[in-house]
Amino acid sequence: MAIPETGDARESIDDHESGDDVGTGDGPAGDDGRTVGAAAVLGLFLLALAAVTLFDAASLSRAGAGPLGPAVFPGLIGTLLAVAGVTMLVRSLRQWPSAPGPAGVPAGRLLRLAALVVLLVIFAVVLPIVGYVASSTALFAGAAFLLGSPHPWRGIAYGWTLAAVVFVVFDRVIGLSLPAGPWGF
Amino acid sequence: MDQLEALLRGFDAALSAGNLLWALLGVTIGTAVGVLPGIGPALTVALLLPITFRLEPTSSLIMFAGIYYGGMYGGSTTSILLNTPGESAAMVSALEGNKMSRAGRGAAALATAALGSFVAGTLGTLGVTLLAPVVAEFAIGFGPSEYVALMALAFVSVSTLLGSSRLKGMASLLVGLTVGLVGIDAQTGQARLSFGIPALLDGIDVVIVVVALFALGETFDRLLKGTGGETVEPVRGRAVLSRQDWRRSWPAWLRGTVLGFPIGALPAGGAEVPTFLSYSTERRLSRKGSRFGRGAIEGVAGPEAANNAAAAGVLVPLLTIGLPTSATAAVILTAFQSYGLQPGPQLFSESGPLLWTLIASLYIGNLMLLVLNLPLVKLWARLLTIPAYAIYAAVLVFATLGTFASGGTTVDLVVLYALGAVALLMRTANVPVAPAVVGLILGPLAEQQLRRALALSQGDPTVLVSGPLTIALWGVVALFVVAPGVLKFVRLRKTC
Repeated sequence: MAIPETGDARESIDDHESGDDVGTGDGPAGDDGRTVGAAAVLGLFLLALAAVTLFDAASLSRAGAGPLGPAVFPGLIGTLLAVAGVTMLVRSLRQWPSAPGPAGVPAGRLLRLAALVVLLVIFAVVLPIVGYVASSTALFAGAAFLLGSPHPWRGIAYGWTLAAVVFVVFDRVIGLSLPAGPWGF
Repeated sequence: MDQLEALLRGFDAALSAGNLLWALLGVTIGTAVGVLPGIGPALTVALLLPITFRLEPTSSLIMFAGIYYGGMYGGSTTSILLNTPGESAAMVSALEGNKMSRAGRGAAALATAALGSFVAGTLGTLGVTLLAPVVAEFAIGFGPSEYVALMALAFVSVSTLLGSSRLKGMASLLVGLTVGLVGIDAQTGQARLSFGIPALLDGIDVVIVVVALFALGETFDRLLKGTGGETVEPVRGRAVLSRQDWRRSWPAWLRGTVLGFPIGALPAGGAEVPTFLSYSTERRLSRKGSRFGRGAIEGVAGPEAANNAAAAGVLVPLLTIGLPTSATAAVILTAFQSYGLQPGPQLFSESGPLLWTLIASLYIGNLMLLVLNLPLVKLWARLLTIPAYAIYAAVLVFATLGTFASGGTTVDLVVLYALGAVALLMRTANVPVAPAVVGLILGPLAEQQLRRALALSQGDPTVLVSGPLTIALWGVVALFVVAPGVLKFVRLRKTC
């Protein structure tokens, strides 16, 4: 791999900072409050995952294993998870005071996210009862509404069309049997 | 000459009406999902994995390869016309490409991207044709120790190169590796990370993880961030290149190909690094007073070519060693596995006709893509006018379809939604999700090879560094780990 000159890299980065085209907050310096906050939570999550993985690995018996027991690989991953989790947590806590922007998310958006999760759960529950087309139509219309569709009612028409096409292609043509409601689709 | 004959026979098979249709379907779907923000080739192939139960291997692999190549073409259209590129490897073409389209030169940018993709894709496929059998021949001598070292290299390079920081890439990789642990341990029959839930004993399906990480994560993220800030530049005029554009484009295409293919073909590759390298090369070669930074055509031509050449290069380690270095390659590996085929050196001897048909279809797919993308580019650009809410609602419909098709129990859906929440957290924390997919698919294989190596040596760990090749590979792994200075440098280039 070619090693480029330093001066050039600097130039490119300056360009990146001044350019308004690329919307990726790359690099620790440019992270806003929300990114840093999420990294902290992710650090905690990795630590929890490490604990679960290591705990689970400790409960495995070595009986019948070759030279490499069933706990070695999980143990390695769990240890690395713990290291990554601590590092990420410490790094984000250190960045926290200097990170610009609010860490939180507007309550309305969170509410929409919660509503979408509820919608997905309802979808899973009603899918075997009312069939693929009806439940997918509802999922499409509901999701489009939550994502800011200006014409909620049109969502039903679009959703029905999409679900019907998917049903015909996957169920009838490809032969992947999708749940049929009382009316057969 | 055996090779040429095998390739010709591959063309013969790939040119059958059925296979042409699958290739056409693949490249069309690929272009569409490449253009649409929020859906990528990795997610699309994952969603289509369940149909492998219905199709014969040649048909579905031809289609998946078409989606893989098509996604690269489509991604460039989006990055040129839309100010927020979706696919990371296409980000660089957005730098100059979007400026060109704002200056009313969008048609030329699209033309150089499509032609450059074709040139690089074809040369890259030629590279695969020539290089893959050689690498496969060489890799036949690989034992488990070599595989362990190669996979370690893939792990460190993927987590280093596919994202904004090493720590975040590593976090993503580890999440994937942990998910890959779930299920029954092949050697002792004990359940790992299954918590007594029967549905988890078989492990978590790749489709579910990919759908959660890409589709749900993206949709949730969209919902939290809200919309706005996207403007689609209309395409004016026909997508043709002036004589001057040609003169400036073709050297950049060739340079991009030369950078892209070898880096993609390395077991530590990926398509991101070469595009950044190509951009900075073109920038450095440009004369004073050039249009760089204000929409230079070389800045589109080079990275686009590099992107496509690298995508072709990624197929070399995938097909010959079974080592995926990008998310899409990892999902394609799963497709092979679902047919009971294990990509690796034996694949050429065992499934030669299938492989050569696949390679032949890549040449054909590239030609189809050129035809699809050059005259019809305005049609594809119109896809961008589909409002975001409709795209993401449709993504959800397809995501739940994919999950249902791959198993569809309640536990699967709970796992899907939980992983979707993790994906949202990762996205908000600016953590890349691609390393997780590679970790998920490569992790179990790495453990298997490690066990095989230690079983052969009767527990002596020095077998892992027993040959010159393994020592060299571990040396490169160490370099990735201990040389953050160098790597930081590569990352800096990536952000340019």
